[in-house]
Amino acid sequence: MTVTLKQKTVRLSGSCGVEEADTLVEYLTSRPDLEVDLRAATSIHTALWQALMMFRPPITGPAPPPLLPDAVISAVTRFLTRPL
Amino acid sequence: MDELIEQFAVEARELVEQASGDLLALEADPGNRERLESAFRAMHTLKGSVGLFELGPMQDVLHQAEDLLSKARAGDIAVDVALIDPLLAVIEWVEECIDGIVETGRLSDVQEKQASRLFGLLTRDVSDRPRDEPDGGEPAAASAIASDWALRLLAQMPPNDRGGSLVAIRYEPHPECFFNGDDPLATISRLPDLRHVELSLKTPPPETGHYDPFRCNLVIEALCGGPLAAVEAALRLIPDQVTLVTLADPAAEASASDTTPARLPERASTTMRVESSRIDTLIEIAGELVTAKNSLVPLAQDARESGNASLARRIHASHQEIERLVGALYGAVTQARMIPLEHSFRRFPKLVRETSAKLGKAIDLVIEGETVEADRDIVESLFEPLLHIVRNSLDHGIEPEDVRKQASKPPRGRIHLQARQRGDRIEIDIADDGRGMDAARVRQAAVERGLITAQDAPALSHRDALQFVFAPGFSTASAVSDLSGRGVGLDVVRRSIERLGGTVEMQSTQGAGTIFTLKLPVSFAMTPLLVIEVGGERFGISMADVIETHKLAANSIQPVRAGKAFVLRDRTIPLLFLADLLRLPARDTDAEDLKVLIVRSGDDDVGIAVDAIAERAQTLTRPLTGLLQAVPGIAGTTLLGDGKVLLVLDLEELIG
Repeated sequence: MTVTLKQKTVRLSGSCGVEEADTLVEYLTSRPDLEVDLRAATSIHTALWQALMMFRPPITGPAPPPLLPDAVISAVTRFLTRPL
Repeated sequence: MDELIEQFAVEARELVEQASGDLLALEADPGNRERLESAFRAMHTLKGSVGLFELGPMQDVLHQAEDLLSKARAGDIAVDVALIDPLLAVIEWVEECIDGIVETGRLSDVQEKQASRLFGLLTRDVSDRPRDEPDGGEPAAASAIASDWALRLLAQMPPNDRGGSLVAIRYEPHPECFFNGDDPLATISRLPDLRHVELSLKTPPPETGHYDPFRCNLVIEALCGGPLAAVEAALRLIPDQVTLVTLADPAAEASASDTTPARLPERASTTMRVESSRIDTLIEIAGELVTAKNSLVPLAQDARESGNASLARRIHASHQEIERLVGALYGAVTQARMIPLEHSFRRFPKLVRETSAKLGKAIDLVIEGETVEADRDIVESLFEPLLHIVRNSLDHGIEPEDVRKQASKPPRGRIHLQARQRGDRIEIDIADDGRGMDAARVRQAAVERGLITAQDAPALSHRDALQFVFAPGFSTASAVSDLSGRGVGLDVVRRSIERLGGTVEMQSTQGAGTIFTLKLPVSFAMTPLLVIEVGGERFGISMADVIETHKLAANSIQPVRAGKAFVLRDRTIPLLFLADLLRLPARDTDAEDLKVLIVRSGDDDVGIAVDAIAERAQTLTRPLTGLLQAVPGIAGTTLLGDGKVLLVLDLEELIG
């Protein structure tokens, strides 16, 4: 399991492939109060990033070393922090 | 015409090698200005010589390749894989075409088709600049609209990230792209010199509950500094989903137009091409002079014996003077045969690149000391044994990436090819950081092969045990085939190195890697020979092999098991008869004193009995060529003062 729920936090760990998008979206749709922790992830598929951009949960991480180049991470961050 | 084509083939092959060496070096070190210049020069000259023939398509391809290199020189495009890969493809293609051109004077139909494909690969580069050439290629309206988003993107980019020419990318992944295995953000991440990214959603987030996680709804816009060709290469699988616009940097543009006209730095040529056979003839003449000069010594002897001491002295003085000059002449001509080791080394980067890709291992090759020079024969003959060792490292030495990771090693394997000069010898190390060899296994296999007794095996040092991999026949032992496959053919490696007058050693640490060290002469120098007689024939033995000569009374020989031995300074030394080794009729030696050469075999001294020790001579020993190469026990041939050919023995091979 690379997408796991513990208390109030959805944790992405290791290599999170496209197939995990379903699980992540299920958690995020079922409970709007959940936080997402990316610190243990080593790679995250676009489908999961897109889900995060759609549901905009509070996010911790990702931790260095960077999962993606700075330019991509900052684009995601800018998107997530942009007012709706 | 024929001569012209032949000349072209020779030159083209050289230029191909030069360019391919430079490009591979650039791949590892993109900032290497010298290599970039050299690659450009090679491409430029190649284009020039192709221009002499009716090879239009090749001319076009090379022109385009030269153009790209010229842009890279001007700093207009980056030197990276996306630039180098297509250029290497061009060079490989040219190389493949050369033979056909020599035969038919033209390109084959297939090659012409390849030319247009290569041309396509090369032309999609930065040469088109939409902002300056609004009516070049695309309809003006389309590019104006395209530029709109691109310019907006540029405006969103922090000012200090700008500079240089940029490529703007708008990537609208297909909604179903996840099902094709696409990972759009990962794709974008692979763009060279990615400076800025903007993300947006094609459609606003739907009401919760209606979100399809497997439908891609993103629009990705990016700016990167990499050359257009590199960007296109990174996005080559999704050309229908991306739009590209180049945004030229005004400053770079101005300077580029100054430097783009390809002008070669004028260099006065200080070299000339000479056929190697002409130099060989010179060396032969120098060699004959050496022998001719040797005949002055008996002449002086004759003069002295006939009572003319002053004539003898004068002959002797001339002999010394001629000896000095011949030595200098010989040195100068051998110098002309010296070529850098690069001639053998430069074939390895490509080989390692291809083989490692084939094996799925990531391997870096580091080459040092390729400028060290040695005789052409030695440099050329080195390639095969080096290839053997490098292949072994690639195949068996370097572990697959997952194994390396488990062993806490860097995932990329490394092969280090290093040459250096030590006096009149060269040393070449071939080191890998692979799994190394298990001395215990080698030891066990050596026992199984009967190379050593089980009692003696444990006493062998780690290092000595490993040397068994060079033993003939060890290679075929099935017991060691899984022993990192190392034994395979290493006896052949050792023999070919020894034939060149060199030695090969190996050290290995299990888990840490293996290092082979080759030591070779720089050239086939004049060596002192000892001429001996046995069974009515004369043979030469290199003085370097002989530790001392010794007169042995017949009655001091003691039988030891099946053989014979004698005691010299409190040590028992096995005695062999050269006549037996050479299968020549043995002389009845019972009554006489024996002349014995003490030579070193491995770590032991061995006595070799000969019939007579005739003379010493300074001669030039050349390695055997052709059929003679296969004759065991013969190191080479040399000419004697009386014009007779003398076979020079390879004692170690004879004893072993």
